[in-house]
Amino acid sequence: MARNPQEIVADSISEFGNGRERIMQILTRVNNELSYVPSEAIEAIADATGVSAAEVYSVVTFYSFFSTEPRGRNIVRLCSTISCAMAGQGEVLDALIEEFGIEPFETTEDYRLTIETTPCIGLCDQAPAMLVNGEPHVKLTPEKACEIVRGLE
Amino acid sequence: MHSVTVNINGKEYDVKEGSTILTVCKELGFDIPTLCHHPDLSIAGNCRVCVVEVEGWRTLVPACVTPITPNMVVRTDSSKVRRTRKLLLELILANHHNNCPECERNGNCELQSLAERYNIRFNRFQTVEKPESFVEVSPAIMRDSSKCIMCTRCVRTCEELQSVAVIKSVGRSSEVHIGTFEDKGLGDVACTQCGQCINRCPTGALYEKDETAPVWAALEDPGKIVVVQTAPAVRVGLEEALGLPTDHHTGKMAAALRRLGFDRVLDTDFSADLTIIEEGHELLFRLKDALVEKKEVALPMITSCSPGWIKFIEHKHNDYLPNLSTCKSPQQMFGAIAKTYLCDKEGFDPAKIVSVSVMPCTAKKFEKDRPEMNDSGFKDVDYVITTRELARMIREAGIDFDNLPIEKFDRFMGDSTGAAAIFGATGGVMEAALRTAYEVATGKEIPFKGLNVMPVRGFEGIKEASIPMPDEMAEGWEFLAGATLKIAVAHGLANADKLLKAVKAGEAEYHFIEIMACPGGCLGGGGQPIPTDMEKRMERMRAIYAEDESLPLRKSHENPEIQLLYAEYLNEPLGPKSHHLLHTKYTKRDRF
Amino acid sequence: MEKKVLLAENQPEFGAGLEKALEMTPADVVYEIRDSGMKGRGGAGFPTGVKWNLAGASSSDVKYVICNADEGEPGTFKDRLLLEKYSERLIEGMAIGGYAIGGSHGIIYLRAEYPYLIPAIEKARKNLMNKGLLGENIKGSGFSFDVEIRPGAGAYVCGEETSLIESLEGKRGEPRNKPPYPVNSGYLAKPTIVNNVETFCAVPHIILNGSGWYSDLGAGDCTGTKLFSISGDVEKPGVYEIPMGAPLKDLLELAGAKDVQAVQVGGASGSTIPASEIHRALSFKDLPPGGSVIVFNNSVDMIEVLANFMEFFVHESCGQCTPCREGNLRLMDAIHLIINGDICCVESLTPFFELAETMKLSSKCGLGQTSANCFIDIINNFVELSGECECGECNCEGGDE
Repeated sequence: MARNPQEIVADSISEFGNGRERIMQILTRVNNELSYVPSEAIEAIADATGVSAAEVYSVVTFYSFFSTEPRGRNIVRLCSTISCAMAGQGEVLDALIEEFGIEPFETTEDYRLTIETTPCIGLCDQAPAMLVNGEPHVKLTPEKACEIVRGLE
Repeated sequence: MHSVTVNINGKEYDVKEGSTILTVCKELGFDIPTLCHHPDLSIAGNCRVCVVEVEGWRTLVPACVTPITPNMVVRTDSSKVRRTRKLLLELILANHHNNCPECERNGNCELQSLAERYNIRFNRFQTVEKPESFVEVSPAIMRDSSKCIMCTRCVRTCEELQSVAVIKSVGRSSEVHIGTFEDKGLGDVACTQCGQCINRCPTGALYEKDETAPVWAALEDPGKIVVVQTAPAVRVGLEEALGLPTDHHTGKMAAALRRLGFDRVLDTDFSADLTIIEEGHELLFRLKDALVEKKEVALPMITSCSPGWIKFIEHKHNDYLPNLSTCKSPQQMFGAIAKTYLCDKEGFDPAKIVSVSVMPCTAKKFEKDRPEMNDSGFKDVDYVITTRELARMIREAGIDFDNLPIEKFDRFMGDSTGAAAIFGATGGVMEAALRTAYEVATGKEIPFKGLNVMPVRGFEGIKEASIPMPDEMAEGWEFLAGATLKIAVAHGLANADKLLKAVKAGEAEYHFIEIMACPGGCLGGGGQPIPTDMEKRMERMRAIYAEDESLPLRKSHENPEIQLLYAEYLNEPLGPKSHHLLHTKYTKRDRF
Repeated sequence: MEKKVLLAENQPEFGAGLEKALEMTPADVVYEIRDSGMKGRGGAGFPTGVKWNLAGASSSDVKYVICNADEGEPGTFKDRLLLEKYSERLIEGMAIGGYAIGGSHGIIYLRAEYPYLIPAIEKARKNLMNKGLLGENIKGSGFSFDVEIRPGAGAYVCGEETSLIESLEGKRGEPRNKPPYPVNSGYLAKPTIVNNVETFCAVPHIILNGSGWYSDLGAGDCTGTKLFSISGDVEKPGVYEIPMGAPLKDLLELAGAKDVQAVQVGGASGSTIPASEIHRALSFKDLPPGGSVIVFNNSVDMIEVLANFMEFFVHESCGQCTPCREGNLRLMDAIHLIINGDICCVESLTPFFELAETMKLSSKCGLGQTSANCFIDIINNFVELSGECECGECNCEGGDE
């Protein structure tokens, strides 16, 4: 059962402190646990760190890995930069779209899966590559990628 | 500060070390264009149109950021610099909804004038359609993101000057825009509607909600009696807004209003005097309740004239609402009296009255629509227009303002004193209140030379003073004998926030605090002419104190029409009628 | 060819460099690094010793040592390898940096794309801690140092040191105006050094072997060895370590590049050169060696490559300053015009080359100052304009004759 946003914020603050400079750590914790940063979390962080909610929202929207919209429990980030593109990333993406019925930055109705494309993830030597919930998967083929995603909870 | 020799555009100059290239060049008369720079704000360095060439640097450097160093060789006018600026302007314009003739800021737009100055006749980078106009409405402030150039002056204003911080850059790269928490409208977040962002916007991306149309309609409607009030700070800004030399002729303003067709030309200065009577007594009674009756009374008492401040405290410090004076602002007091007393005196049907207020303020537009502001059975104030909107009406009507005769306000609500005039400057309400309250409590004039309470004047962010009470007091106020009245004044909400936090923390103790939402007080209000900066604020402040000095009466309680109002209608300060019409209550609002 | 120091199989014991540094004065450590001539391995190439010297001279009780582990330049993955295998060396280098400038706080700003490296870094920290090489009063020297890992969240611009500091302070990763420079006022307005992973990893080797040894590894004033991440059309993509100043050709041979059309050195913001120029040297004087080398063979359509890079910059500009926010968008428009066949001659691209120049001259940070490089290089060297236009300056069919 997912914890509520305020609880995650409170926990992160007791671990990291409530300084404004801790906002990225707190946001990362919330974003990892809930797959996104809900407004309750933004308000709680603003209250704890003494900045405005607009300020926290502004920070959240700056970073690609944060989302203010609910996303799937599993987030697939397929690299779209050149080395991966040259190694067949396009076919992998097409296969994922075909099999899971969602376009990049969309989420399945059951919130099982969100697929995103992302700039270089530093796995160019093993292209094409993707991160699944932060874990690297490399030398993908359309079949291999679909199999990995199929196997997710 | 050390003096250093620099070479600017081929000539040597001795200048102050440590100043930026921009400051130094401005002093020397080299006009470097800027868009994101504003003298009231921190340096952003993001528009880049101020770039200049400095010998030895690989890139051009932004003049607003870069400090002068010894022997620096600067070119502000080379072809490289001009080409770069021109191209940057093209980039901005390609993504700008430039419908100049239909824009609020046509003729007073910093982007437009730079486009003109750099001879932009064709945009080589108009590779895509211009953005569609997208206007977001709030009670007083309109935002058109298609005209925004991301200079972030509004963001810095909201945060640095006002500590409101409801607008921020949201998103990144080409998606970046000025937004709020969850991109809600300004009306749905803790925006105070102070309009300071408008005053600093270089383009037409921010402007007030225009109410001139219903005012014109009322003026043209023979079935309506249109009464107008003008706030103290309007008369020191109107000529600026009209682009005229600033003589600050209040009488010309009255004449112009009459020529626009207002049926009664009256004065917020009148109700400012009224506010002083009510608020001065409220302070004295709070002190009495606290010191003599030993009741639980909220002190310090804090002024309530500034609607931006009221909305701020309702959002951010609403545990301190009991400390606010229950007095309505002069605008609202005026409206309530106009639709009661004035109708009695003039034989008007209050249902036919249209109450128009001319304000240096945008938050007044919000204030007039507060649901509780209708104690006479009618809305206190129907329409609020800013100084800028009045100037537009005067221009549209073709009134030759400069050659107008000097006229007076109409009777019953047109008289005022110097105490009311100074409401327009930070510290003015405090000074006016002291002039009256001191005299009420002691029977003597306040012991400052020429009645000028200098410690509360000027633009220091937070001002404090201690006013010792004499040993002999007037009847009923003996308990104050020998006491010291501690007061503070703050202007700009960032200073207000700081002051209130100090009070909350017990670091400072006061009896009475004046707070104005806008830097400089109402003279620097969000409805005042653009640009508003320190230079303009100083000029307007001088005009306000000159007006005070020039008036025969300088204490609110000496205003003959105020005396008449109490004698014939209100009976006494804080009496039942006053309570009903002139006092109000406050609302807790969300912190974000 | 290959000259392994950072990646050498036989490595000095982790911590040996720090122990040696602690026997030196902080000033001598700074001088050793300065004399080694090492330039920052992140790409900008600022001399590390100079940076440390400035931070050391800044007076403050609190100073910060920040490791920029936010390599985001397309095609760069050398720091991933270092973090995976040599985090102890990295932390040791940071501690030496702290000792040199008088700072006890180390922060590793780790890009969000590398969360799986956190256990390796934490293990390295623990190992050093267990050896008494981290924590309070290290080896009785009176010097204390510790590091913490702080996450990024997906923003290329945070590789720029002042953006990185903003991000660490819980803000949007927007570059700061300079001055002040981080060495005087960085993280939390304290003197701060920000160095790349590879830079810190090299530090213990320099301390152990001496500045002279290090500078002899390179060529001229481009000293030491350098790690390169090679990918694209090569047989053996991966990380290679070669002396600075070596020709690009050497690297391409190591990785097995064939049928080369173009090589991009230093990532999307670096230089893209034709096969005829692969004899050029990897040095700050010639081909600025960011860390990424991407090889494109003759089958690659370079305009597509350019489109991919420009999409990257459009996505990654922080959006703060005019030339970068608007400029990348307009360059992207020009690329689309080319792809759609609406551009026939280089003359009609003149305004866009002028734009590229303006971005270089007037952008606030390195991102905007370099993002047009790939546009200039690729259009000039690899793209045949075959469209029709209305520029009126050429003889294509769409022109005015």
